[in-house]
Amino acid sequence: MRDRSATRALVLGLLSLPFGLLSPFAIWSGSRSLSRIRSSGGALHGTARALVGLLAGLTGAVFLVAGVLYWLFVP
Amino acid sequence: MIQRLGLAIAFVVLALLTYPGADLLSLAVRLTPAPVTTYPAVQGSLAWLHVEHPSGRTPFIADDQGRMVLLHGAIPGGLIDFWSGADHSKTAAPPFYPVDPAAYAGGRCPANYAIVKVPPLCEKDIEEMAAMGFNSIRLALTWSLLEPERGHFNLQYFDRIAQVVGWAKAAGMYVILDMHQNAYSRFVGRSDPPPLPGGSPADMWDNSGAPAWATITDGFPSETYSGQRELNPAVLEAENNFWYNRDGIQAEYIATVAMLARRFKDDSTVVGYSLFNEPMPGWNLPPGFEDLLLFPFYRRVIDAVTGVSDGLPCLTQIFMPAVCGFPDAGVHDLRHLFFLDTGLLREVTDFPTHLGLPVSSYPNLALGIHPYTHGYTVDALVLHQTPDKATYPWGGYDQTYSLAEREARAIGAALFVTEFGNDPTWDPLILANELAEQEQHLVGSAFWTWKENCAVNGNSWGMFDPIDCKQDLTAPKPVSGCLRTTREEMLARVYPVASADPNLAYRYDAKTGAFILRATSRFGDPPTAVLVPPDVTGAVSVSGAVAGEAVVSESASGRTVTVYPAGGEFSIEVAAAPLRPAAAC
Repeated sequence: MRDRSATRALVLGLLSLPFGLLSPFAIWSGSRSLSRIRSSGGALHGTARALVGLLAGLTGAVFLVAGVLYWLFVP
Repeated sequence: MIQRLGLAIAFVVLALLTYPGADLLSLAVRLTPAPVTTYPAVQGSLAWLHVEHPSGRTPFIADDQGRMVLLHGAIPGGLIDFWSGADHSKTAAPPFYPVDPAAYAGGRCPANYAIVKVPPLCEKDIEEMAAMGFNSIRLALTWSLLEPERGHFNLQYFDRIAQVVGWAKAAGMYVILDMHQNAYSRFVGRSDPPPLPGGSPADMWDNSGAPAWATITDGFPSETYSGQRELNPAVLEAENNFWYNRDGIQAEYIATVAMLARRFKDDSTVVGYSLFNEPMPGWNLPPGFEDLLLFPFYRRVIDAVTGVSDGLPCLTQIFMPAVCGFPDAGVHDLRHLFFLDTGLLREVTDFPTHLGLPVSSYPNLALGIHPYTHGYTVDALVLHQTPDKATYPWGGYDQTYSLAEREARAIGAALFVTEFGNDPTWDPLILANELAEQEQHLVGSAFWTWKENCAVNGNSWGMFDPIDCKQDLTAPKPVSGCLRTTREEMLARVYPVASADPNLAYRYDAKTGAFILRATSRFGDPPTAVLVPPDVTGAVSVSGAVAGEAVVSESASGRTVTVYPAGGEFSIEVAAAPLRPAAAC
């Protein structure tokens, strides 16, 4: 059975690329899903979705934070 | 395995098309060296202007001697293709005033009528502007007149623009060519009765911009909400289609700007191009609108006109994501400025609607703001407060200017007020405060508007009183009412035209005509020039570290006081004295 929050993480993660403010939710969903899948002993799957969601969330967060830091300090 | 690969590809493609791609491109732009440009002096022409980028402070507009230049101008609407008529059901009226320059040659001026928003723009207007001490004009143009049919430019309209630029040059005034629009187009139609609840039939009076062939409304009704011309489903859909380059219309627009630049490439009277007036987001929301649609669009225009190629190569007839540049149009104009208006919603907030990043490696950029504080900010539009009792903006009039300085630095641009104005009832409050902020922030501006026939809602906002728009609409009318005294007092003001000190401070008192400027310069710096318009009669005095006496030259624009610094602090003052009133009206 696929972990539902893996799909949620994927959707939030991809959305956090254009909408960076969603990235914390993607990271939270992705990491929770991965840990649930790992501890399910094979009963749950969806690792790829959760991982891509987590990565996309992290990417969104990195660019959001970098953009804010640039705006605040670089000029 | 296939599913994993698909997910990975989706991730990479989406990242490239959205913020990660856009941010990486901005980083690359910041690291790209600026193109080398030369500014040859031409006898009898105005000096070329450019943007200086001093370390640690906001870039500024400068002349060929590196002096900070303050542009103080007005915006005439006579070249805008406004809707005209008395019958609102006829939505596709032909252009009202003649486009042929011959109709304006030798001091001639076509008759003015009350069925169009503005009077024609004639040579006398330019002379009157110069006599008030304006040193620049933001010349509002319309895409629907530049390219009335797809791919076919109206060269007569380009001649007409050149005619006005020639008048300005003769008067010693700079021109900003403004790709103007309001509510996208006057060809969005009018749904009467409005099919959606709560709407009113669109009033076409203010609409201008795109030609009919570039106005794709997809059948959305044209009706307005809350009395705002932009809150119109047809307008929002048409704007949206422009930003998404539906049917290649954005590419056509870019080609039009390139055509304009080709015509004025070697003319130093033209400061540069205001690329899109008051950009509406369509159905998009900030900050994505600004970061992924608007500023990438600006980069594309700059790519096309200058040939700097900051964006990536893409197909130009379909949606162009943020990383897409635009092919070199072969103009290679590397001497003019590009004025980049912020998104329209910033006018409503007086607050940044996105965190701007570098747009282009081309250095001559100016961020254009429209500070309509208490006119179009939320306190007026949403809370319906009067300016004297407004509870927003919390940072007062300064909020929009202080934040805009940071925005300009972030994108690597000078700051310029491409438009400001207000209901004349509030001149002592709004206009006085806006001008005080512009002095404090050392920012030039263009005043909306020079002349306006009449207003549908409230007062007209022109420098002059409106004409009679209630009786006999078919009869010729004067080009305006009387010059508004308060506006003349406040806008025919003393100001530094150019100075080697970009940190100078100055203050003009519109009530007494008194002026003081304090600056610091090194020995051998180029001179500081102050313009004293004819209305201001006070004696000029200079003190501090200056070499010799001030040189005062007279022209139709008044007295130009030129002071040569000797190294150190100096000041230039104009004594309080009665203002010379305008000619009786």
